[in-house]
Amino acid sequence: MTVHFRSTTLLGGIALAASLIAAPAIGQEAYRIGALNPVTGAGNTYGSGMQKSIIAAAAEVNAAGGAAGRKLEVLAEDGQTSAEPAVLAAKKLIEVNKVNAILGTWSSSVSLAIQPMTLASNIILMHTSSAPTLFTQNQRNLDWGFQSGSKYNGRAMAAAVKKEGFTKPAIMSFNNDAAINNVGFFRKAWEAAGGKIVAALTYEPKRTSYRSELQKVLAAKPDVIALSGYLPDTTIILREAYELGATAKFIIPDWAAGPALLKALGPDVSQGVLVYGTVPNIAGAAFKTYSAAYKKALNTSGEENVFGAQAYDMVISLALAIEKAGASADNVAIAKEIRAVSNPDGEKVTSFAEGKAALKAGKKINYEGASGPLDFDEDGNAVADFALFTYDKGQYVKRYLLQ
Amino acid sequence: MTEYINLVIAGTVQGLVIALAALAISLSFAVARFPNAATGDTMTVGAYVAVLVQAATAGSLLAGSIAAIIVTTLVSVACYFLVFKKLERRPLVASLIASIGIAFFLRSMLTFFLGFEQHVFQIPISRALNFSGIRIIPIDLWLSGIAILVLAATFVLLFLTPLGRRMRAVAADMDLARASGIRSGRVMIALWAISGVLSAVAGIMVGIKTVVTPDLGWDLLLPAFAAAILGGIGSPGGAVLAAILLGVAQEVSTPFVGFTYKIALSFVALIAVLIVRPAGLFGQPERVR
Repeated sequence: MTVHFRSTTLLGGIALAASLIAAPAIGQEAYRIGALNPVTGAGNTYGSGMQKSIIAAAAEVNAAGGAAGRKLEVLAEDGQTSAEPAVLAAKKLIEVNKVNAILGTWSSSVSLAIQPMTLASNIILMHTSSAPTLFTQNQRNLDWGFQSGSKYNGRAMAAAVKKEGFTKPAIMSFNNDAAINNVGFFRKAWEAAGGKIVAALTYEPKRTSYRSELQKVLAAKPDVIALSGYLPDTTIILREAYELGATAKFIIPDWAAGPALLKALGPDVSQGVLVYGTVPNIAGAAFKTYSAAYKKALNTSGEENVFGAQAYDMVISLALAIEKAGASADNVAIAKEIRAVSNPDGEKVTSFAEGKAALKAGKKINYEGASGPLDFDEDGNAVADFALFTYDKGQYVKRYLLQ
Repeated sequence: MTEYINLVIAGTVQGLVIALAALAISLSFAVARFPNAATGDTMTVGAYVAVLVQAATAGSLLAGSIAAIIVTTLVSVACYFLVFKKLERRPLVASLIASIGIAFFLRSMLTFFLGFEQHVFQIPISRALNFSGIRIIPIDLWLSGIAILVLAATFVLLFLTPLGRRMRAVAADMDLARASGIRSGRVMIALWAISGVLSAVAGIMVGIKTVVTPDLGWDLLLPAFAAAILGGIGSPGGAVLAAILLGVAQEVSTPFVGFTYKIALSFVALIAVLIVRPAGLFGQPERVR
C-alpha cells in the first residue's frame, strides 16, 4: 500500500517533470514483467528467441521514456515447456518478484496451468497458446492470446484442404486440449460446409511407433490427413506413413514443421507435406524493428520465429496500454486498454515511441505489430494472417495466403 | 486377418526394442539386487553418442555404434565404482534412489551441453515390403535381427561361459559365491559392462525408430520395468519374452480399446499376471529376495 501511496503523490511532480524534460521518471514504480518462456523442452526452438525479444522490446520502451513514466523491468524464467516447472516459476515470479504481468507462455498445457494463478492475483497473462478453455476462462479480460487459437487453426486447415481439392480428409491428433481442438474446429468447419471426415483418432505422446494408429486411419482411404501434434511425433508418423506406402497427403501446423522436420525426413519423405501457419507482417515497420533486435540478440533471422514476433508485440501493446491507462492504473484498467490501442479505427502506429507520441496528442491508435495486425477478437485472441507452405524438393516454400 | 497380423508385427517390433532395456534392468536386479533406474538415461547417452558420431563421420552408423558402446560401458562401470559399489551392503532403496539421481544427472548433462533439439539418425527411409497386405518395414527387419543377435549373445554369455556361471552364482548368493572363490568384484564389473552394452544398443534402436531427444530413455523406463517384472524379476529370458508379449498385447488390443487405453491395458495385463503368479511369468520365488 505504501508503494501505491508514493506513486500517486509523486504523480503530479512526475507529470510536471516529464513535460519539462524528457527525463526518466525517477521514483515511479517500475512495471514488472515475468518472461516465462519455453527456453528448454519441446518449445526450445522458440523460447530463447521469445525471451530475448521481450527483453529487447522492454529496452525499446524504456529508451522511449517508459510507459506512462513507468520503466519496464523484465524477470526471465524458463517454463521448460512443462506445466510443473512452469507453475513453480510462475509462483516465484508472482510471490517473490511481485510481477504485474507474465508474458510469453507458449504451450497450452503451461498457459492453462498458470492461468488460475494469474487470475487470482490480478496479473495480466499474454500467451501464444491455442486451447479454447484459455479463452472461455478469461472472464476479466486479463488474458491475451497472441497466437491464433484452435478456432482459427481449424478454419485455416479447412480452407487449405478445400482449396487443394481434397474430398476425403481424416484427422489425427496428439492427446492434448490444443491439438484435439485444432482438428475439432477443422471438423466443424469442414462438416458445416457439407464435407465428411472419413476417420478420426487421438494418439498418445512418446510412443516408439505409430504404425497401428496409421493402419487404422489409412484403412478409411483418406486423400488427406489433418495431423495435429508436435515435432517428435510428427516426425515419426510421417516417416512411418511413407514406409507403409501411404498415398494420402498430410497437412500439419507450422510449430511441428520447419527446417528440423525437413532435416529429419529428407526431401523424399517430406515432399508435398502441407504446412499451415500464421505469418508475420514482414513488410511492416514493426517487423523490421523486431527483426533487427532479434538478429542482434540471437544472430539469426527473426523470420523463423513467429513466436518471437508475438512476444515482442506483447511488450509493445502492453506498454501502449499502460501509457494510455496512465501511471496509476491497475492491471484491470490497463488490460481494458489493450484492445483500444491495437484494434482498427485508430491511427496506425508501428512502434512504441510513435504510439506514445500519438497518445500524447490525444489521438486514438491502432498498433500494427511485428507478428500481424494484432486485432483482438471478443475473446482476447489476436487474429493473424495464415499461409499455406509446403516442402518441395527439399525446400520449404510458401504457397499462398489463406483467407 | 491381415490387419491383426500387421498389428502383431508392429507390437513385436516395439517389444523387441524394449526387450533390451528390460534385459539390462533384469540383469542388474538379478546380480546387483536393485532395479537400476539409470538404465533409461544410459540408453539416451548411447543414442546421443551414436547419432553425433554418425554425423561427424559422414554417416557411419557402425562408427557411431562402437563409440556409443564404449561410452555407455564406461559410464555404466563408472556408476558402479563411484556409487553402487559403496551402497552394496545397504538396503535396496538406497541404490534405487541413487540410480534415479544418476538418471537425472546424465540427462541434465546431455541437455546442458546439447540442448533439447531432436537429432535423427541418417538411415535411408524405404517403403515396406508388401506380402498381399502384410507389411514388413525393412528397417524393422534389421532392428529385430540386431536385437535377436544381441539377446542371443547375452544368453550365450550368461549360460554357456564360465563368466556367466560366476554371475549366476553371485546372483544366487553373493556370500556363498565368495566363499567358493569367486571374485565378486570382477563379476560386478562384467555385469555393469554388459548392462552398458545392452543400453547402448537399445538406445540406438529406439533412436533409429523414433527421434533422439533427452527424454528418449526415461520415457521407456516404465514399459521396460513392466516387462522385467512381468517376466519375473531376475529372469533375463522372462524379461525379453514379457517385453514382446506386452508390445503385442498393446497393439492387438487397439481395435477394441482404442489408442489411448492400450497403454493402460498392458498394465492391466501386468497386474492380472502378478495376481496369479506373484513372481512373474518365469520368476522363481526363491530368487526374489
